[in-house]
Amino acid sequence: MSYYFAIIGTQDNPLFEYDFGTSKQGGDGMARFTEQARQLNQFIIHSSLDIVEEVQWTNGQMYLKLIDRFFTSYISCFLTASNIKFLLLHQPPTTTSSSSSAGLPPSSSSSALTSSSTSTLVQPSHSSSSSVLPSLSTLTGGSNASTTTLGGATRTSTSIAANPTSPQTEEAIRNFFAEVYENYVKAIMSPFYKTNMEIRSPVFRARVAAAGRKYL
Amino acid sequence: MSASKASRLGEEIWKTRIEKVNAELVVLTYGTIVAQICKDFENDYTEVNKQLDKMGYNIGLRLIEDYLAKSNTMRRCSNFRETAEMIAKVGFKIFLNVTPTITNWTSDNKQFSLVFDENPLADFVELPDDGRAQDELWFSNILCGVLRGALEMVQMQVETHFISDVLRGNDTTEMRVTLVRYIDDELPPEDD
Amino acid sequence: MVIYSFYIFDRHTECIYSKTWLPPPSAATTSQHDIPTNNSTSGAGSANSTDPHHNPMRSARSAVSAANKASDDAKLIFGTVFSLRNMVRKLGGEDDAFISYRTAQYKLHYYETASNLRFVMLTDTGTLSMRNVMHQIYINLWCEYVVKNPLSPVEHKGGAGVRNELFELGLNQFITGLIAR
Repeated sequence: MSYYFAIIGTQDNPLFEYDFGTSKQGGDGMARFTEQARQLNQFIIHSSLDIVEEVQWTNGQMYLKLIDRFFTSYISCFLTASNIKFLLLHQPPTTTSSSSSAGLPPSSSSSALTSSSTSTLVQPSHSSSSSVLPSLSTLTGGSNASTTTLGGATRTSTSIAANPTSPQTEEAIRNFFAEVYENYVKAIMSPFYKTNMEIRSPVFRARVAAAGRKYL
Repeated sequence: MSASKASRLGEEIWKTRIEKVNAELVVLTYGTIVAQICKDFENDYTEVNKQLDKMGYNIGLRLIEDYLAKSNTMRRCSNFRETAEMIAKVGFKIFLNVTPTITNWTSDNKQFSLVFDENPLADFVELPDDGRAQDELWFSNILCGVLRGALEMVQMQVETHFISDVLRGNDTTEMRVTLVRYIDDELPPEDD
Repeated sequence: MVIYSFYIFDRHTECIYSKTWLPPPSAATTSQHDIPTNNSTSGAGSANSTDPHHNPMRSARSAVSAANKASDDAKLIFGTVFSLRNMVRKLGGEDDAFISYRTAQYKLHYYETASNLRFVMLTDTGTLSMRNVMHQIYINLWCEYVVKNPLSPVEHKGGAGVRNELFELGLNQFITGLIAR
């Protein structure tokens, strides 16, 4: 499981980003994004902001749970009272773990997926997030297939890494957000921090990393 | 007054006679002041230190009266060592609820260090990462001024400065206090 | 108990506050109408005592002379307590403190803070020690209303910042309460 975490300011400006991998079940905490996926992640997160705006007034919660999905990338969101968005993109490993993938059909769908997502990525029209959406809709058939197989494969597993929609994952991410939020508040309490300024604090980064290790 | 008696006194005053105020309010207020001074002086940190010290000095000139009133001090400290005890165990205790450790005396008993295990002014603070603040800014420099102003009112001229600060990445926060001289009583002007 | 007058001197030996309740006995025989009347105050260097029974020229002159006299009194008192305090320390050691002296007419009480603020009170001869009273004035009135007033200067040159409404009111109430007891 690879994660990409971003804090988005009130002007939809990025304040902080950090990618990491799971530390559960022997994970080494390293993100397994391809170079292209790394860049794509920013666009996915950015496009999710539209969904956040739709969802944010529907309930009074700060934790909006899973709000968006792009192929195998799942996006969870947490809103602060001052309209700062914490977005976590989590992506189960594309090559599913050996034991559970045994029963799967050949990984043609996922490999097809990666190739198609690569193809969308090389499109020059990626300068704005809206251009990602049409390409998403053209490919929904493929992504649907892949998620059902993924869901079927990991239903037996309680691992949060392999199952992005399970209640355990939801809870783990809630805890992660809660801890990050606490540290975020401390970081912005520094007198030298101004609203919507990029968070450069190495201490904060270390604490986010620690929260990631602890819960994800 | 012995060290243990001083800490008992500080504890008692803190518990009974001090009005408490939300610590975060103080932290944010002080932090904002420092940040604003940094802005006003365009990050000339030497000047910022100077301004903080000056502000502290003006606070100290008044704060001493409050200290004397609250601690019911009727007599002077008999020596500088006693003064140090009272500063650490009563003064800092009742105004900031911290008790810095007194250490590193010089042999002539005129210089000592206050080592702060915790510094309520610096909670949450991270110095600007402009590459200079870490080397030049003494964030809590106001405390130096307060001490200097307060001691001047009780006829001690001292020199105070920080020599390390955890905010800068040092292991401790340490302030050096040096007694320059005792100030003599002022005499009334001669009548013509 | 009768309280005649009250003075505060700062560390620069200047009289920064004075208040007279009754004419001190020493002045009673000489020039009674030149003394500020009951409950009026006379600051250091400020002339605020007027007497309606005199013509303007005369009253102006007497006001000036009263002010001069008040400031002379203050200087005299400071000189006295300063010398006595130093003498006491010389004879009794650094920790000894001068507390009061008494004449046939009045008693002078002295209290000094560690910040070299000096309080002096003149009362009748039968009054017990007023040291504690002056300590209370320092803690409850001086610190609260003068020191903690952010608009008042740190150094009270010419009495600046001392003579504010709250301090005045508080002192009056405190002293009136004492006398009534």
